[in-house]
Amino acid sequence: MPQFDIATFSEQIFWLFVIFAILYFLMSRIALPKVGEVLERRQKTIEDNLGKARALKDETDAAIAKYEAALAEARDAAQADIREASEKAAAEQAKKTEAMVKKLSKKTSDAEKAIADAKADAMTGVAEAASEIAREATDKLIGVKVQAKTADKAVSAIVGE
Amino acid sequence: MAGPLEQFEIKPLAELSVAGIDISFTNSALWMVIAAVLVTGFMTLSMRRGALVPGRWQGSAEVMYEFVANMLKDNVGSAGRKYFPFVFTLFMFVLFGNLLGMIPHSFTFTSHIAVTFAMALVIFLGVTVIGFMRHGTHYLRMFFPEGAPIATAIILIPIEIISYFSRPFSLAIRLFANMTVGHIMLKVIGGFVGLIGILGVLPFALLTGITVLEFGIAALQAYVYTILTCIYLHDAIHMH
Repeated sequence: MPQFDIATFSEQIFWLFVIFAILYFLMSRIALPKVGEVLERRQKTIEDNLGKARALKDETDAAIAKYEAALAEARDAAQADIREASEKAAAEQAKKTEAMVKKLSKKTSDAEKAIADAKADAMTGVAEAASEIAREATDKLIGVKVQAKTADKAVSAIVGE
Repeated sequence: MAGPLEQFEIKPLAELSVAGIDISFTNSALWMVIAAVLVTGFMTLSMRRGALVPGRWQGSAEVMYEFVANMLKDNVGSAGRKYFPFVFTLFMFVLFGNLLGMIPHSFTFTSHIAVTFAMALVIFLGVTVIGFMRHGTHYLRMFFPEGAPIATAIILIPIEIISYFSRPFSLAIRLFANMTVGHIMLKVIGGFVGLIGILGVLPFALLTGITVLEFGIAALQAYVYTILTCIYLHDAIHMH
């Protein structure tokens, strides 16, 4: 087998070392740093772009938050307006109701007063009529003329009870 | 018809000798040069533009770079980064040597024990030096692991020493044997194709399959050679 021909070993090993050393030099000094640099640059670009994307996302989030805050503020303002308006309306309503109640109660008390006056008038009339009737009756029945004053007193004593 | 061993013959292309030592430029050296030129061309021309979005060639070069870098990182860790250029050169040199051998009438320099053993010996010595430089005499602990009962020393130390010193042999012989046997097999089966007439289609079909297999072995053995180097490097840096 040619592999075991020791005479060829020196030339094989010599050229192996020479060529391997040259290849090692070319790889370590020229080829590999270049590949490493390209890979590093790509990694950096990717990271930069990711960072940029993240910054843009943050910006978007901030804008969304601002928009939502504005929206909430507007909603609050609108609700405050609604509340104020409804409170105002309720107050007005309450005032109107109160005025109406006052008016009605005044009417009621007037009416009651009128009724009471009428009742008092009527009572006075009744007492007068009763004393008249009583005097007439005593005159006709027993022929005694009763003084008007005495009859009035008697009637008012009975009515007053 | 050439014999199956003829393909392994070393043929001097230019006779040279220094101080009585024969350093003729041979077909073996020629194919080493071709491999080195192709590796260099592949790794530099493809990266010439250094594009952010790689094309087909640049992508391939980057894949090789990252493949070896990951192999080293997984097996040795970050301490292995220093040795990346060596491991990468080793992998590419062996890979291209193996693959170039698949070209008909070419020469497979990795099928020679002198080459595979010389590389294995450099790796072995280098790894041993790294081990002693990092750990001093503590590196001798490699031969008697921490925590083993002292009584087992009589058996363990010789076994560890033998296994340590057999590393360059296993590294060298595995690659040499795989390449040699594969090429002999191709040649022998190839010889049958023309020999048995129309029936030659059968060995031809077999030859086709084996050729595919040999391409796989060419890549796999380059990988094995490199990953074993990584593992030895790991042992030297981290001990067991």
